[in-house]
Amino acid sequence: MATIEDLAQAVFDGSTSKAKKLSQELIDDGMAPLDVINQGLIAGMSEVGAQFKAGTMFVPDMMAAAEAMTAGTEVVKPLLAADDMQSLGTVFICTVKGDLHDIGKNLVVMMLESAGFNVINAGVDVSPEDIVAGVKEHHPDIIGMSALLTTTMLHMKDTIELLKEEGLRDQVKVIIGGAPVSQDFADEISADGYSPDAVSAADLAKSLVGAA
Amino acid sequence: MYRTRSLYTTAGFTVNQHLFWEMLTDDQAEAIVSRTLELLERTGIDILSEDAAKTLKEAGCHVDGNRVRIPTAKSEWALRCAPSRVTLCDRNGNRAMLLENNEAHWGPGYTAKEFMEQEQNMDTNNNKIRPFTIADVEMYGKLCDTLPNISFAMPGGFPTDVDEANAEVEVFKTLVKATRKPIVQNVKNVDQAKKIIEMAAAIAGSPEKLAIDPFVALHVVVNEPLQISAEAADVVAFAAGHGLPIIVSNELVSGFTAPAESAGVLMVALANSIATLLIAQLACEGASFITGGFFTNNDTVNELHPYGSPEISLLGGGYANVLRTLRIPSFGFAGGTDAKCSDAQMGLEVALSTLCSGISGTNVIHGAGNFESGCVSNPTVLVLADEIACETKRIMRGVEMDEDRLARGVIEEVKPAGNYLATKHTRYYFRSEQFWPTLMNRKRIDDWAAEGSLTLGERTVNKMNDLLVNYEETPLPEGVDLDKIAG
Repeated sequence: MATIEDLAQAVFDGSTSKAKKLSQELIDDGMAPLDVINQGLIAGMSEVGAQFKAGTMFVPDMMAAAEAMTAGTEVVKPLLAADDMQSLGTVFICTVKGDLHDIGKNLVVMMLESAGFNVINAGVDVSPEDIVAGVKEHHPDIIGMSALLTTTMLHMKDTIELLKEEGLRDQVKVIIGGAPVSQDFADEISADGYSPDAVSAADLAKSLVGAA
Repeated sequence: MYRTRSLYTTAGFTVNQHLFWEMLTDDQAEAIVSRTLELLERTGIDILSEDAAKTLKEAGCHVDGNRVRIPTAKSEWALRCAPSRVTLCDRNGNRAMLLENNEAHWGPGYTAKEFMEQEQNMDTNNNKIRPFTIADVEMYGKLCDTLPNISFAMPGGFPTDVDEANAEVEVFKTLVKATRKPIVQNVKNVDQAKKIIEMAAAIAGSPEKLAIDPFVALHVVVNEPLQISAEAADVVAFAAGHGLPIIVSNELVSGFTAPAESAGVLMVALANSIATLLIAQLACEGASFITGGFFTNNDTVNELHPYGSPEISLLGGGYANVLRTLRIPSFGFAGGTDAKCSDAQMGLEVALSTLCSGISGTNVIHGAGNFESGCVSNPTVLVLADEIACETKRIMRGVEMDEDRLARGVIEEVKPAGNYLATKHTRYYFRSEQFWPTLMNRKRIDDWAAEGSLTLGERTVNKMNDLLVNYEETPLPEGVDLDKIAG
């Protein structure tokens, strides 16, 4: 019989088909959907995050685990009641204008979701205006912006300026990431935080909503 | 002329299965071998052992006092008798080192009588030099046991706090407790060889088991041109008679104990090697025999024999090449330095020699940790050499080719201007296709600074200390009393 540990292991191993199959089996065995997610899928992903931090697992491993977790979540999610998931907060996340790179950003999404955030993933090439519109619509606690190019990272600054103009800056925390970005740059544009990788991005988000 | 596995053919598709460096052409190697055979016939060689000289005479060599002239037919007979490959096992009888073709294996040295005491920061020359002790041998044994790219153990130096006449026996006793890996054990005379073989046989279970799965090779040194000491000749015959692999190492200095040019050095070394090979094969036809050496030049400016010179790699690589054409497993040197501390000179000399010894296909490579002409021993260099050996192995693995590695499907899948990071192909290959550093630092400058701006020297010392703290001894089989045998 499948156990919840087997499911966590499948996510850890990045085995998509196994994670999907085991999630279904556990549900069929009568396990609560929320337990399947928290104790199985998220537990496996958390271990990947820990190993990533320790330097023993790497981005490709993490992507495989994220894929496996998504596959499992797709099985379980339709069975959840609307108020089942306790959310730590909402994060609006995107890759900034002119930039189509989203591998790292999508990893951050996975890590935020497994940490318990409700994530609005706005995709790539998102202009400052669209970000502000998104803030007005979704009232997120945090905005996450990603850029891979030194030319596009400047839109992070533009976005923060626009948030100020619209009087929204105080209502939301802004965090940034991506290869050319640094803590110095975050300080320079008055962002609330920077993180170098997906695991620490989730930690950063938690600390910003007071959940760390 | 023999051809080893330099070209590997599968279904009509020729690939370089391993990358390696042929320093000599077949014609050059053949010329060195022919001239050496002529040298052994014409000039002859001094064999100072009466027993060995007598055996050689009975076998058809021309003996006049100590001078032995070896007919080419005898040399060639010995070359035909010797196995083209030798396997060294670990202490538990597992096959550990296949000495064949261009397989390269690295380990420490054995000569230094002084030890460079490690300060936390070895990047200055504040390091204290003190006599090398038996406790240092144990430390080298533990490091050899733990370092994944160090294949065999040597003591790292010569202990000065034990009875000199019995020192090699004490060394073996200490090493064999500290490490499971194969041991290359220097011996000075037959008495020592007897005790060491007895200890090894006790651990293996019986002399026969030891001969089947040998975990020690007896190493003797020849450091004169065309002269084999009585002790060396007798140890060679004794070890061959007991079925243990023998390593005959030439330690020659060009322009001093050998001609000043490279080809001449290789000839003198080969004459020494062939003469000892013949002694071994006459003692036991088919005896496992490895030879090679440490060749350096004579630095007439500083009046010493350098340990980090490019000639060491040049001559070592050339000799490995000659031996490969003769199908005799080779012994060489790398990982020594003339630097005084962990500086750029140390790094480049250790790296250059480790790379050259590997890609020239030297089978047993000793010497990591030698400073100051082999007089001072520094074990952190062994830790560094382990990392460099790992990098060298990656280069030697070459560009592996099969349909999947030709990446046909994935390139089509990713399309132009795509990204390979998210593909299954990357997940499958990213670990095995690249070298993973443990000492080389690739962090961003800021991150490195945040962690204390540790230099390579400091990181190496830290890694060494970690290895020693976490070392776990594998006990010897129950009931084996080495002290009783060692005397």
